[in-house]
Amino acid sequence: MLKKVALLLTGIAVVFSIAACSEKLEAGKSCPLLCPEQAITLVDTTIDAAVSDTTIAGLPPIGAEGYLMLASHGDTVETRAIIRYDTLPQSYTKSGVDSTIANIDSAYLITPIVKPDSLRRPKAPVTIEAYDVDTTATDTVAAILAPLFRPDRLIGSKTFAPESLLDTLRIPVSTDSVLDRVKNGTKLRVGLRIVSTQGVDLRVGSTTLGLGVTLHITASKDTAAAPVNVAPVSNTPTDQPFLSGPLSDYTIVLNGTTRTPAILLGVGGVPSRRSFIRFNVPSRIVDSTTIVRASLLLTQSPNRRLDPHDSLYVYPLAVLAGPAITDISSLLQFVGTPGQFNLDSLRLAPADSGVVSFEIVGLVRTWRGQSSTVSPRSVALRSAVEGQSPGEIDFFSTKAPAAVRPRLRITYVPQTSFGLP
Amino acid sequence: MMTQLVSHATSRRIGAFVFALLLSFVPALAVRAQANLSSQGFGFPTGQFSTRTWGTGGALAELDPLSPVNPASLALIPTRLVTFQIEPEFRSVTTASGTDRTTTARYPNVFGAIPVGRGWVLSLGASTLLDRTATSVFNTTQFLTATDSVPMTTQFRVDGAMDDVRLGAGWAPASWLRVGVGAHAITGHNLISITQSFADSAQFATFTQQRVLGFSGGAVSAGIQLVSKLVTAGFSGRRGGNLDLSSEDTLLTSAKVPNRFGASVAFTGIANSAISVRTSRDDWSSLGSLGTPGLHAVDAWDTSVGADLAGPRVGDRILFLRGGFRTRTLPFQAGDHTVTEQSFTGGLGSAFAAGHVLGDFALIHSSRTASGLSASEHAWTASFGISVRP
Repeated sequence: MLKKVALLLTGIAVVFSIAACSEKLEAGKSCPLLCPEQAITLVDTTIDAAVSDTTIAGLPPIGAEGYLMLASHGDTVETRAIIRYDTLPQSYTKSGVDSTIANIDSAYLITPIVKPDSLRRPKAPVTIEAYDVDTTATDTVAAILAPLFRPDRLIGSKTFAPESLLDTLRIPVSTDSVLDRVKNGTKLRVGLRIVSTQGVDLRVGSTTLGLGVTLHITASKDTAAAPVNVAPVSNTPTDQPFLSGPLSDYTIVLNGTTRTPAILLGVGGVPSRRSFIRFNVPSRIVDSTTIVRASLLLTQSPNRRLDPHDSLYVYPLAVLAGPAITDISSLLQFVGTPGQFNLDSLRLAPADSGVVSFEIVGLVRTWRGQSSTVSPRSVALRSAVEGQSPGEIDFFSTKAPAAVRPRLRITYVPQTSFGLP
Repeated sequence: MMTQLVSHATSRRIGAFVFALLLSFVPALAVRAQANLSSQGFGFPTGQFSTRTWGTGGALAELDPLSPVNPASLALIPTRLVTFQIEPEFRSVTTASGTDRTTTARYPNVFGAIPVGRGWVLSLGASTLLDRTATSVFNTTQFLTATDSVPMTTQFRVDGAMDDVRLGAGWAPASWLRVGVGAHAITGHNLISITQSFADSAQFATFTQQRVLGFSGGAVSAGIQLVSKLVTAGFSGRRGGNLDLSSEDTLLTSAKVPNRFGASVAFTGIANSAISVRTSRDDWSSLGSLGTPGLHAVDAWDTSVGADLAGPRVGDRILFLRGGFRTRTLPFQAGDHTVTEQSFTGGLGSAFAAGHVLGDFALIHSSRTASGLSASEHAWTASFGISVRP
């Protein structure tokens, strides 16, 4: 009995304890009257923290484009999309039975595209032409491929009204050409060209994002015959799938290749480029304070060469490579994903000018207490549509006049001895 | 009353269970809120009272063995005993900006005692000396440059308390005399965290800084009780030693543990009852150098009057009825304004389980004001105390 009563009482005590722990502690209406501790003062400073920077063209590397850039701006920019069908099936299925392809009723290139927004929609009909660009020469070089876009190699084309450019285009191709490759077991390599009376850009799906252009073959008019869909496949370079895989489809630039001068940092453009900035932030700030804002201030230089008012997103990215990699081009391929470390993008138009601010506090905070070998103090800049759209954003680099060089604005909380009443 | 408890056979298992329970509460000896009058400076002095003493407004503090104030009262404890308290407080603070209501929990007193023979009783316990746990949240706008500003919300949170761990001994050399001594370790910590968040979360990242302030110090105490048929008087004092405040391994400041002196006189001419008056003085100003120069600690009187009366019998138990009034000055000023507190208290108590368990309850209503400051604070505190004598 005694034990039961004691346990009951201690149980009651436990219940009260738990109930009493349901606290509501927050108060603040009497601040600042009764609150001796006030908000900690923030310190704001802007420093020339960028110690080196450079722009590397040709990134992403050929075949790694998210979308293929099909552009025609005359002498300014001309690009082509190359799609490889190095393996073609030689049979089709009819009523569950395999049959050898002896004839082809129709063949199409099922071409996924990014629907142009209202600002980028072509103002005139566009024609997409398909050429047989198979060659024994090195067919990733523009100088070799460009001559292959000639009338005797044209295997198909179709003209589209601007409003018909929605999500997928069906481009008919020569059944004879396809049948010849099927029967002979040889590869079919198609080059796409866009033609219009006005400058035009189109983003075509690629295998990089699983949206490659599919060759659609109907071998028989019989409705029981299943069509054959052929995805892009590249077998060259032979026995090097790491290299041949990305070359299933890619973009080549015939005209309009530009270089970024040393006083500028380029993002996007033709060929696509990324920029790299390395920082040296004083340890007294990075390691001894708490940073609440870090803004990379860049002065934009207007680029009116192409699509000057078509805005695009520019991402700041963390460089993830360690110190063993010193080649900047390689460093710029080992970058974080957009949004990683809470790095935010900016939407900019090539013709814009003035100072822009990339918020990189999430990245700068990772530098605290870490050596630069562990946490590289650098940032990469890339376009969201790199390799897909010719627009280029330029910023002044560290080699530009002092007033327009990259700067880092840091807002931080100094080390404080707070807590003493 | 403790001297009237019936002694029975012990139960080691119950004692072990309750003691384990007590230990589980020790790390959470104090929790509460801020932006108020009572928790200025290093915090709110809970008084180191038992629930029973609370019921009398504090008037029995020098006579009550469950209050870790006068070590001489330990000699009253006839058998092994463990005790602990729970004290939730419901507080409202009113200023011109509005009223904040907070609910807080306290576990301000835990200890055990054991008779060791020949009238000696030893005790080890911990009680809250100053409880600083608090949270305040406020919005401000900071100008970074002439053209750049940022609205932000600051949360300032303090968890922890300055605690008094006492090893005490009481001795009753004669029926009319009890004496006692205590050695005190002043310990505990304040975990302070500041979190600032920003309305513009795209540019600014929330930041949090934490810091732990640790206390280490010592004191000694001594007390005496004189007993007659009609009157019992108790006197005690504490002599403070050095008190250091450090952060990690860095000594920040030093001060002295406040000296204290107190006296209670009780009329015990009514059976099983006591009517008492008490006053004490704490030299809190000695803590002034422990904080920043802006910290203002003041020496304070604490005076109370109360009664612990044998009420009706419930079954074979006596139900004790208690009431009291207390007035005191709190140790830390709000700005330059001294904070005072008046409390009305009431309570109940009885023995259960054939005297093996003592249960006490007290309800305290406190009003705190600071002359010249347009702020007031009111609090209801419920104190639950349980003592077990295995």
